[in-house]
Amino acid sequence: MPTTPLLSVTGLTAAVDEKEILHNIDLTVAPGETHVLMGPNGAGKSTLGHVIMGDPVYTQTAGTITFDGEDVTELSPDKRSRAGLFLSFQAPVEIPGVPLSSFLRATLAARPDRALKGKEFRRRVKELCAELDMDPSYLNRELGVGFSGGEKKKVEMLQLLLLQPKLAILDETDSGLDVDALSVVSRGMDLYRKTCDGSLIIITHNTRILEHVDVDRVHVMVQGRMVREDNASLIPWIDENGFESFEQGAEDAADADGQASGAGALDGIDAGDLSAVVER
Amino acid sequence: MAKQRTEVADIDRSLYDFKDSEEGFERLAEGLTPEIVTEISRRKDEPDWMLEFRLKSLEIYNSFPDPTWGPSIAGLDMDHIATYVKPNTDQSATWEDVPDDIKNTFERLGIPEAERSYLAGVGAQYDSELVYHNMQDTASKMGIVYSGIEEALHEPRWEALIREKFMTLIPPTDHKFAALHGAVWSGGSFVYVPAGTKLDFPLQSYFRLNAKGAGQFEHTLIIVEDDADLHFIEGCSAPKYNVANLHAGAVELFVGKRAHLRYSTIENWSKNMYNLNTKRARVEEDGEIEWISGSFGSHVGYLYPMSVLTGRRARSSFTGITFAGAGQNLDTGTKVVMAAPDTRATVETKGISKGGGIQTFRSSIVVTPAAEGAQATVSCQSLMLDDESRSDTIPAMDVRAKNVDIGHEATIGRIGDDKVFYLMSRGISEEEARAMIVNGFANPVAKELPLEYAVEMNNLIKLEMEGAIG
Amino acid sequence: MDALTIRNASAMPAPTWGWLKMNNAEVAIPAGLAPAGAVDVDAPQELFDNARPFEVAVAEMQERVDAARGEAADDRACLRAAKTGGTHADADGDLGDLDVPALSRYQERACREEAEGDIARAFETGMGHDARSYLNFLAGEPVALGTTEGERARAVVRVEGEERAAAAVALDVVAAPDSELDLVIELDGTDDFGDADAAALIGSELRVFAGARSRVNVTVYVCALPATVVLDDEGYVLDEGARLTVRHVVLGGGTTYTGLAADLRADGARADIDTSYLATGTESRDFAYTVRHRGRKTVSNILANGVLAGTSKKVLRGTIDLVHGCKGSEGTERETVLIASEGVDNKTVPTILCDEDDVAGNHGATIGHVRPDQLFYMRSRGVSPEAAEALFLTAKLEDAALTAPTEGARAAVARLAERIAPDFDIDEADEEEAA
Repeated sequence: MPTTPLLSVTGLTAAVDEKEILHNIDLTVAPGETHVLMGPNGAGKSTLGHVIMGDPVYTQTAGTITFDGEDVTELSPDKRSRAGLFLSFQAPVEIPGVPLSSFLRATLAARPDRALKGKEFRRRVKELCAELDMDPSYLNRELGVGFSGGEKKKVEMLQLLLLQPKLAILDETDSGLDVDALSVVSRGMDLYRKTCDGSLIIITHNTRILEHVDVDRVHVMVQGRMVREDNASLIPWIDENGFESFEQGAEDAADADGQASGAGALDGIDAGDLSAVVER
Repeated sequence: MAKQRTEVADIDRSLYDFKDSEEGFERLAEGLTPEIVTEISRRKDEPDWMLEFRLKSLEIYNSFPDPTWGPSIAGLDMDHIATYVKPNTDQSATWEDVPDDIKNTFERLGIPEAERSYLAGVGAQYDSELVYHNMQDTASKMGIVYSGIEEALHEPRWEALIREKFMTLIPPTDHKFAALHGAVWSGGSFVYVPAGTKLDFPLQSYFRLNAKGAGQFEHTLIIVEDDADLHFIEGCSAPKYNVANLHAGAVELFVGKRAHLRYSTIENWSKNMYNLNTKRARVEEDGEIEWISGSFGSHVGYLYPMSVLTGRRARSSFTGITFAGAGQNLDTGTKVVMAAPDTRATVETKGISKGGGIQTFRSSIVVTPAAEGAQATVSCQSLMLDDESRSDTIPAMDVRAKNVDIGHEATIGRIGDDKVFYLMSRGISEEEARAMIVNGFANPVAKELPLEYAVEMNNLIKLEMEGAIG
Repeated sequence: MDALTIRNASAMPAPTWGWLKMNNAEVAIPAGLAPAGAVDVDAPQELFDNARPFEVAVAEMQERVDAARGEAADDRACLRAAKTGGTHADADGDLGDLDVPALSRYQERACREEAEGDIARAFETGMGHDARSYLNFLAGEPVALGTTEGERARAVVRVEGEERAAAAVALDVVAAPDSELDLVIELDGTDDFGDADAAALIGSELRVFAGARSRVNVTVYVCALPATVVLDDEGYVLDEGARLTVRHVVLGGGTTYTGLAADLRADGARADIDTSYLATGTESRDFAYTVRHRGRKTVSNILANGVLAGTSKKVLRGTIDLVHGCKGSEGTERETVLIASEGVDNKTVPTILCDEDDVAGNHGATIGHVRPDQLFYMRSRGVSPEAAEALFLTAKLEDAALTAPTEGARAAVARLAERIAPDFDIDEADEEEAA
């Protein structure tokens, strides 16, 4: 395991409208690794992705986020993005009045090292469109306006490949519902791994998306807590058994009057035939 | 076979159209002079500052031109308006002490009955003076004050407060008829709800203008302190004459922090009435004003209850319906000034015009630079019941703050033939179908009214379908 | 020339409260402007040769309208009210027939115009009589253009400002039945302008008679300098089945006024108005649109879409008037405004006047800002809030460049872009489209 992690989240706690929804989260991702973040609906997986990206909807009340050797806890989302973080949105917003191509140019213009001029930019975007099987006419349409779910996903993957971040967090919580979107994301992940050699955090509660991915680590969240971390073997186990056993553990942790440490959270877990491996 | 044509009838106003004798009443001379204004003040034995206020207001009135943007008020000749008519009685706290004919009038309007069944207090004004005012003991024990405003003005405890607030929300310089009100106001209610007090049952003031050619100028002043809650109901009616009557009341509402006030009105003046009424509320932090407003009567109506949201997160909602029948030009709507961050406003109105009547929805939403994060939605629907009537919509918005969301939607149209056909295809007669559609149109407002008024409104929009024509 | 103020310009047909200061505009004409500047009218010779006087076309239509007009007297209460001057008290205070309503001034005017049925007298332009007189005075003899029945033609008119000068064009257009005309008007300050901060005025006065089933497509590009006053005043009369399509693209100019009035006089006429505006710095935009539906089954759409930045100001007065008799007509008005910075003043009053029951009138307005979720999305891709704001601006410019009807208009947008968004390369955007 590499000595310097790419992303290191320690003791992260976050609230929305003064209600704490993420409790004391730890998460470490090394360069080049692929992690999966799983958990039942409402576990806080998407929230964690958004907090790592710096979404102002959430207030981070404790903990630090270190990325690529730099403490980014206080940085605005655009600075985090330029530092090499990327979050694909489960539901990308629509921005009427702004054509996709203008937006893409603006995202590149913000990073002097990646700025592509005129023809280069167009060639690159066209290539990516072709690779993602996306109609280039979308480039002249207003961002997200009237796009189908699958089209919105393509636009997210297009940005992933264009911006080539060091770490991409793919929030695919609902993708399992849409076969089209699923295949777009799979292709995007493949291309990203091939061309960028970056790290990935895949957020999902559906394991189908992981069929062709080499997963290094699996994290399980329940009720705003990280309750389990393990290797890829946890995935088939979850497929079989679901999240119920983890839920009990999270409830016990919550009952411990907010004192719950990661270890406390584990006490209640029926680990079954798996040995609990928790890295601190 | 004769072609069937159905009609939605005008509002049946006969319920309100009965007149009482004015025998024994004191009526000041018609017209408007400093002498008359001084005489009104003298009879009321007012503090000097009020007389000064009245005379100053009269000067302002005389210096202002008539409004040029709304319905013509050329038919309103102030030389023919008696500004003060005192009924032949003093204010009572029991109905038994109210003279029979006046008591019968209020009986017919259902006021004492409503008082018995669900009101916490009632004030009844007849022409220029209150004839009845009473509130349940439970409410007075809570520290709530509900009395005639003139009565309160004579109590040292309230005089200072009244002087501090009186016509500060609606200064006489606001418009010509605010100035007139300042000069000749008479009667009206004063309500004080102490901090943290919540009254479960509404208070109601009813204003009846019986005297021919007279004006009614009642002043309503309501102060709802922090964390308090009040529902206030106001009703108005008058019999029909063939000369102009004038109503130029003023309503000033002060809503404290986290306080809530619901102000429900049904104005049902007769068709010779010029209703030039002014209502305004100021709402502090996290407070809320809810206006429920039904405008049915009057020859000419100008009515735009206004909310001034001065505290952070203050809210206002306005739900209104206006029905203009033959000969009526009703110009109604609302004004909202959003002057603090994260304030909210919603406006939902329905307009119906029929038989050559004209109804105009007029509004303004002003968002000052201080109102960052303000959100407002305005929705306005108008229904034309025939091709002789008119319906105009004039909504203005002035937005000067960032991070705001202001939405406005309006539609004008008639009852869709497809809707009528659909209902008829299920066995409903055309009359019933049309009635059903108009009722459905009015329903979002009707359901907000107190029960008694909802029933009254259903009576008002009594849909008499007529038989074959030609 | 002396300084001059045109009062009551671009007035709303139905005014509202004076304290809102939205009822009309006061146009301040800067002092010391010399009548100069370039006016180019580029059109095929036939358009000049076939020109017919606007008044004649209107008079001919009047004859047809009068001939078709029924004899049946209309006795509606509002017409009676207009005839008698509304409700008045007699010496005894008696109000007379209380089933006759008291009318407001504009309602009385509407009734009078309806009773007269006089097209020429009811003719109006968006900025109103006084502004029209000024522009006609400035422009001199109007340029008359006329299409040929069944033919299609195109004309491009350029008015170029110059420092301390006032220049305007007056155009009278008569579109023959079944013809089609594309008219482009560019109101612009070029590189030869001189001192870009000096006062200047450019304007255009346009009258169009659109004959039966004709199509008239008017595109106006306004990309003037920040000290220039721009007056664009238009009035249209539409005959049966005529179709008017107007695009107003107002991106530059210190104080700009855009006025349009359309009289959908005959059955089946249609007007589509699409407005795109941008204001930056201390610029101000004023729009006054009035569409009168008089014919049956007439249709109008007013769509406006704008971005306000800096401490700019904007007023949009839009009125759809569904006049008695316009059965089966439909009018829609919709505005979307994005407030991109603090200190902006945005005024909107979307009015519907309706004196007819078998019609549909709709309007909507959305005034908003970049929402927090939109901003977070953009920031998560590395776009700073400042860059996000600029993006909305440049997107407007880009769209205007891509859809420019002429090379001249495109160049004007490019010049403007260079001035207000120097980092933005409009040629690049343009090539992209071409590629």
